Amino acid sequence: MSNPTAIGSTVIDTAEIDALIGDGPAAWDAAGRIPVELLRKLGASGVLCAEVPARFGGPGADPLANGALTAHVGALCSSLRSIMTVQGIAAAAIRRFGDREQRRRLLADLTSGRLAAVAFSEPGAGSDLSGMATRIRPVGDGSGDVLVTGEKMWITGAAYADVILVLGLHGEGPDGAAVVVPTDAPGVTVEPVPNPLGCRAATHCRVLLDEVRLPAETVLGGGRQPLPLLFTTALSYGRMSVAWGCVGILRACLAAATADARSREQGGVRSADHQLVARHIAELYTSERIAAQVCRYASEQWQRGATDMGVAAVLAKQVAATHAARGAAVAVQVLASRGYTDDHVVARAYRDAKAMELIEGSTEISQLILAQHALDTT
Amino acid sequence: MTTMNPGIDAAGVEKQLIAFLAERTGAEPAPEQDLFDAGLVSSMFAMQLVVHLEDEYDIEIVGPELSMDNFRSVRAMSALVLRLRDSEGEGESDREI
Repeated sequence: MSNPTAIGSTVIDTAEIDALIGDGPAAWDAAGRIPVELLRKLGASGVLCAEVPARFGGPGADPLANGALTAHVGALCSSLRSIMTVQGIAAAAIRRFGDREQRRRLLADLTSGRLAAVAFSEPGAGSDLSGMATRIRPVGDGSGDVLVTGEKMWITGAAYADVILVLGLHGEGPDGAAVVVPTDAPGVTVEPVPNPLGCRAATHCRVLLDEVRLPAETVLGGGRQPLPLLFTTALSYGRMSVAWGCVGILRACLAAATADARSREQGGVRSADHQLVARHIAELYTSERIAAQVCRYASEQWQRGATDMGVAAVLAKQVAATHAARGAAVAVQVLASRGYTDDHVVARAYRDAKAMELIEGSTEISQLILAQHALDTT
Repeated sequence: MTTMNPGIDAAGVEKQLIAFLAERTGAEPAPEQDLFDAGLVSSMFAMQLVVHLEDEYDIEIVGPELSMDNFRSVRAMSALVLRLRDSEGEGESDREI
């Protein structure tokens, strides 16, 4: 897994990433923080949003190569992978919705060490767009400035972010807008939620926006996009990233379980030779293969620009997250007391994988989308 | 896909879009009907629609072109398609830089 990942004409040196991560993840999880200098270093190398094209300063990875990179990091640290996810969402939204000047300026920022978060969820609006209350209002005094007001919840990585891409209603709606809010702007408050279940070092924050006044050039493409389009475009990148991260979780669990089953002896035989343990290993292996294949399919659909790419991302996220949650529980079962403390890779995986069933569309919301797709198309 | 749509005009694009929407949503919209008000465009379908237009008419829809005004109705989308096809090669696309 330490071989460089070939990416188009570029090569991302995962050995360098591994060296930077080292044995940090368990301590970061306990502390609830990743050293921000490390995030900036990774950001400056472009790997936090690896699909940004070279002409904008990024590595120019295609979706499959970025998936492989995401799984690689996901196997080591789901908190760091979560930071990749939100930086990548911000970059994808800027690429799609930003005007030419915004694409150049903001994508250069995101590949030179500046850190981004993205704000969708609100206390009254998780997956339900009709509950959206955040407003991005033109001031209307001829300056072109906007006022951003709202409350966002569960914003991953906001504790580290230099900018937060905030989605809300443009004016009084119903159209939407996405605005790049510097976290040091007057009226912005970021409060990390204490003691989250999983991805503890990613940070999950409440973000308060109190009449934050920003210039027109912070609103991507001038705003007034269809709100569903803004959300689905941004969320779809997130779903792909989470899905590949879950493949990484499964790979870490499989490696830990097989290593333990090979080395541990019980009743004079290897743990792996107990049939019930062997079944656990088989199930973990099967989960990893299923998750990897469904992610590969979704990435290929993205690479092709297929019209079902959004649904393929939901499917990948749904399958990978449920298998990761189940697989991590199996790995804890195999390792038992040897994996029972919070600092162990399988214990972290157990907590982190459960979180993956909740974010970017919970398992239940994903099922609703998949059911609707099936009803519409078959 | 340019070769599949040689010499397209507004009426032709509208007809194709109405057929596409009818197939995907089960309801045939009128050219000027507000698709979002009518609830014909779900979250997932909004993105599919953009990808479909880009692929079918060999255009790129980014930045300010994604404004609601360009997607509200079949007529608006048709106008967007024709305008972007006309401006093709004028350097609007960041993929061509």
